[in-house]
Order: sequence, then structure tokens, then C-alpha cells
Amino acid sequence: MSADPAAAGPVGMTRAEHFATIGQQRHAATLGMWAWLLTELLLFAGLFLTALILRLLHPEAVQAAAGHLKFWIGAANTVVLLCSSLTMSAAIELSRLGWQRMMVGCLVATASLGALFLVLKGYEYYADYEEHMMPFLARRPYALAEQPATRLFVNLYYVATALHAVHLLTGIAILVGLTWKASRPGFLQRHQNWIEVYGLYWHFIDLIWIIAFPVLYVVNR
Amino acid sequence: MRNPRPALDAKDRALLWSRLRVPVRTFLALLALLAVNVGLGATRPFEQVWLVELAVVAAMAAIIVLVSMEVRHERPLVRLFAGLGFFWVAILFGMTLTDYLAR
Repeated sequence: MSADPAAAGPVGMTRAEHFATIGQQRHAATLGMWAWLLTELLLFAGLFLTALILRLLHPEAVQAAAGHLKFWIGAANTVVLLCSSLTMSAAIELSRLGWQRMMVGCLVATASLGALFLVLKGYEYYADYEEHMMPFLARRPYALAEQPATRLFVNLYYVATALHAVHLLTGIAILVGLTWKASRPGFLQRHQNWIEVYGLYWHFIDLIWIIAFPVLYVVNR
Repeated sequence: MRNPRPALDAKDRALLWSRLRVPVRTFLALLALLAVNVGLGATRPFEQVWLVELAVVAAMAAIIVLVSMEVRHERPLVRLFAGLGFFWVAILFGMTLTDYLAR
């Protein structure tokens, strides 16, 4: 890393020596994050497409299984993630202003809302367990055992939502570390764009859930 | 940690609102669209309602990508990357459904 005149103000970034300019470094970071997010998009798109195909092949079974999903918890969780996207956007704007304390507060709020999502999701899984809606548990009776095709949709529901939860858990862990670093003196002078690049990931997690909620919970009711 | 002042004055509040106006309006738009989808999902007013629900989801996704993820302000190469990702998804869905819907 080398010093750069652009880092002299309250907000900026330190230029790595393999970049010619700060602008080039900033552009490369954004492009790199997008390249990774697109691979993630294709991963989740495969799961959503599978849900659609299951609906075409087994409409009655999918509707029966979707009737057991906790629609209102899913809706509440969508609101929670929308709120977290708002606090993340606010953190990005505050980082651009150089208002570090308020930015850190928004980052903490974002991580807390992400944790609330996981708590609600955990409760939902617990309610599913109580309703015998976990067909992959070999020793536990399955509520819709007389409709074997429902297993396909229910298993897909767990794969898709658990994969999203893993992404969210990872996101919260990274965000906690980032928040700690962001609270150090001089952070915004050296690494302001970290907040912006991380914000892309958080908004993407939000985007995936916004698609998953209707595809799994809403259109199959 | 740095903050402008212990308490924000009128100038700071105006600056803050000017920066947060777009995120707040985006949030309210997404919340309204979600309310439409939840309302449709809870009431099922007609048989083909899923078409409307998927259209609402598409609108929400477009708002997040263009506004929250700021693709509309990015350089052409980033816009191209983001667009191509959704183009690949369209190919994935289109070619697969061509098979299933034509059987």
C-alpha cells in the first residue's frame, strides 16, 4: 500500500501499489464484487427455477406443501430485511459524508436486523419441526407422507432458505468485523470504499430473499 | 470516532436528509410493493394472480439493483456485468421452460 493525495481528506482510500489511480482501484473493487454476486445469482436462480418446475409438474403437491409454510413470518422477515437495507444504505451515505459515529450505528443496526431475521427463521424451522414438516428426518413422521411429491418442494424450501441463511450468517459475521474496523480512528480516510463494496453484498442478500419469499411462499398458496 | 458535532444543527440535518432522501423513498416504495404482494397472497382475488405477484417481484428487484445497489450511477462496464448476469438467468429460465412447457 502507498499513500495517496486522495486520502488526505476526512474520507478517502489508500491506493494499493498495483493500481494506477484511486478511481481505478475503486472501479476494480466494485466490478470484482459484481462478478462474484453474479455467480451467486446463478446459484440461487437454479433453485428458484427448480421451484417453478416442481409447481408445473406437481401443482397439487406443491400447493399442499406451501400451505404449511409460515406466510406471515416470511412476510415479517421481508420487512426486517428491507429495514436492514435502509440502514445499510444510510451507512454508505454517512461514510461518504465522513460521519463515522453515525455510520457505525447504522452498521450495528444492520447486523442486528440481520440477526433478527435469523431468529425469526429459526422459530419458523422450529414450528415446521413441531408440525412434522421435516421429511428428511428419517425417524420422525412426515405430515404429508401420503403425498410423496410434497417432499420435493419441502426439501427444496429447506435447501433454498438454509443457503440464504448461511449467506446472511456469513454477512453478519463479516459485518461485525467490518464494524469493529470501521470504528477505529482514520478508517474512513483509508478504507471508505469497503463500506460501499460490502453494501453491495448486503443488498444482494436482501434481493435474494425478496425473490425467494414470493417464489416459495406467495405464488404457491 | 468522528462526528460533525455532538448534536446536529439545522445545516447538518438538511445535509443528512438530502443524502438519505433516496434511500428512504426506496425503502417506502419497496415496502408498498411488498404490501401489494402480501395482500394478493393473503386474499388470492383471482386465479392468475401469480402473474401480478411475479411482476411486483420484478419491479422490487429492479429497484434494488438500480437504486439501492446504485447500478444506474455505475460505469458502463459494471452496468454491463450486472445486466449480463440477469441475461444469463433469462437464458436459464427460457431454455428450461421451453422444454417443460412444450412437453
